Amino acid sequence: MTLQPVTVTKPVVEVRHLAKAYSDTVVLRDVCLSIPAGTVTAMIGPSGAGKSTLLRCLNLLEQPDSGEIVIDGHRLTAGERVNPKDLAALRRSAGMVFQHFNLFPHLTVLRNVSLPQERVLKKSRAEANAKSMELLTRMGLADKADQYPSRCSGGQQQRIAIARALALDPRVMLFDEPTSSLDPEVGVEVLEVMKELAAEGMTMIVVTHEMAFAANVADELVVMADGGIIESGPPRQILQDPQHERTRRFLRAVLDR
Amino acid sequence: MDMLLAILIGLPMTILVTVLALLIGSVLALPLVAGLRSHNRFVWLLCRGLVDLLRGIPPVVWLFILYYGISVGVIRLTSLQAGVLGLGLVAAAYLAEIYRGALTAVHAGQWEASSALGLDRATIWARIIAPQAWRAAIPAYTTFAIGLLKDSSIASTIGVAEIVFMSNHYARQSGGSITVYFVAAAVYIVLSVPLGMLSRKIDIRMRKTVTR
Ligand SMILES: Nc1ncnc2c1ncn2[C@@H]1O[C@H](COP(=O)(O)OP(=O)(O)OP(=O)(O)O)[C@@H](O)[C@H]1O
Ligand SMILES: [Mg+2]
Repeated sequence: MTLQPVTVTKPVVEVRHLAKAYSDTVVLRDVCLSIPAGTVTAMIGPSGAGKSTLLRCLNLLEQPDSGEIVIDGHRLTAGERVNPKDLAALRRSAGMVFQHFNLFPHLTVLRNVSLPQERVLKKSRAEANAKSMELLTRMGLADKADQYPSRCSGGQQQRIAIARALALDPRVMLFDEPTSSLDPEVGVEVLEVMKELAAEGMTMIVVTHEMAFAANVADELVVMADGGIIESGPPRQILQDPQHERTRRFLRAVLDR
Repeated sequence: MDMLLAILIGLPMTILVTVLALLIGSVLALPLVAGLRSHNRFVWLLCRGLVDLLRGIPPVVWLFILYYGISVGVIRLTSLQAGVLGLGLVAAAYLAEIYRGALTAVHAGQWEASSALGLDRATIWARIIAPQAWRAAIPAYTTFAIGLLKDSSIASTIGVAEIVFMSNHYARQSGGSITVYFVAAAVYIVLSVPLGMLSRKIDIRMRKTVTR
């Protein structure tokens, strides 16, 4: 039914039969996902659907109970011991951006972006700073380099967080509601940066409530509810003609606001 | 005037006892706080018990135990050793609790972000968590240090020649005048008030630059 794209690219992220429970509550059940290189996947769904948990499993901030994750060739099988080298490689391949930015408040903006490069990529301070300044300049934040994050607006902080993750040259960027704690006007700054990233061909998985972003920027829309993926496909198609009753209910709730 | 001089002879000892006890306490509190955060029930129980034991018995009793109690064995502690060790151990227990509180003040998102960036555990502790916890601990830490400066006076009970010991000595020699104790009080004030002011200044400066 679905048309194969002309160039079939190897998936950057593969998730097979992923499951996770916290004692009695099942949070993820049998989740399968395949993210081709250079695509943007938007992920929507009601609160508690397991969207954050899925993202957090992808770079092992949470341990899945069963299933398999392959990111940029690094394979992880739930239940098997992960050696630190694989873990480091996997986390290097996946950059993560959080709802609450999670910048390091005791370090300047420049140090926030440079420190991980020095520690993870073993760059010299000068090399790291050069890369940091290049990224901060692209984000329009070069003049904030010597400030502390607390002196920056929420939108600026989130862009710094994006720069910090990008500085490690990830193969895929994971965004967990990157604009949810921002005023709409400020959120736009962040969405602009994300659009640019998408245009440059970055592979992205974005958990979001921004329907316009999902409709206009994403190549694929994934709808999650109750720990599973209930629907996925081209964003416009799903938004206009949802197949699943649960999706319809969720879209009504979001769009009628 | 010679009253003040007599007291000031005890000043170096007061400072020495305070600084050494604080040093011992600050270092020993680290394994203690690690134990208090441990998921291993046995380790946790051991450290919890140790902290409660150290805090539950008055410091002066610890000094007596260390000074008179241990002297029967092979090792015999001098009064200075017993004073520093006793106050240091008790300090470790209090500082462990202060560190523990400061660590909970560091947002969980800091761990997540550092792990997601691929930083290793040692780097996360040394570069991300510890500096933030340390800033959170400064007010309680300096309050404790100032308290310790005054509590070092109980080392006089086992014969450490610090300020109160010298005051007692002077009072006995000069026929029981209590004026000397007012002078001693003034010396403590002169020591502790600037320390408090300095700590507040550091705290405010760090808050200004760093907190969100
Ligand atoms: N550490 C935890 N312990 C127990 N339950 C948890 C934990 N973390 C998440 N959960 C539960 O897992 C379920 C899924 O949570 P998750 O955060 O992944 O949802 P979400 O889709 O991201 O929701 P939201 O849109 O509110 O962010 C929720 O029911 C939540 O209560
Ligand atoms: Mg979430």
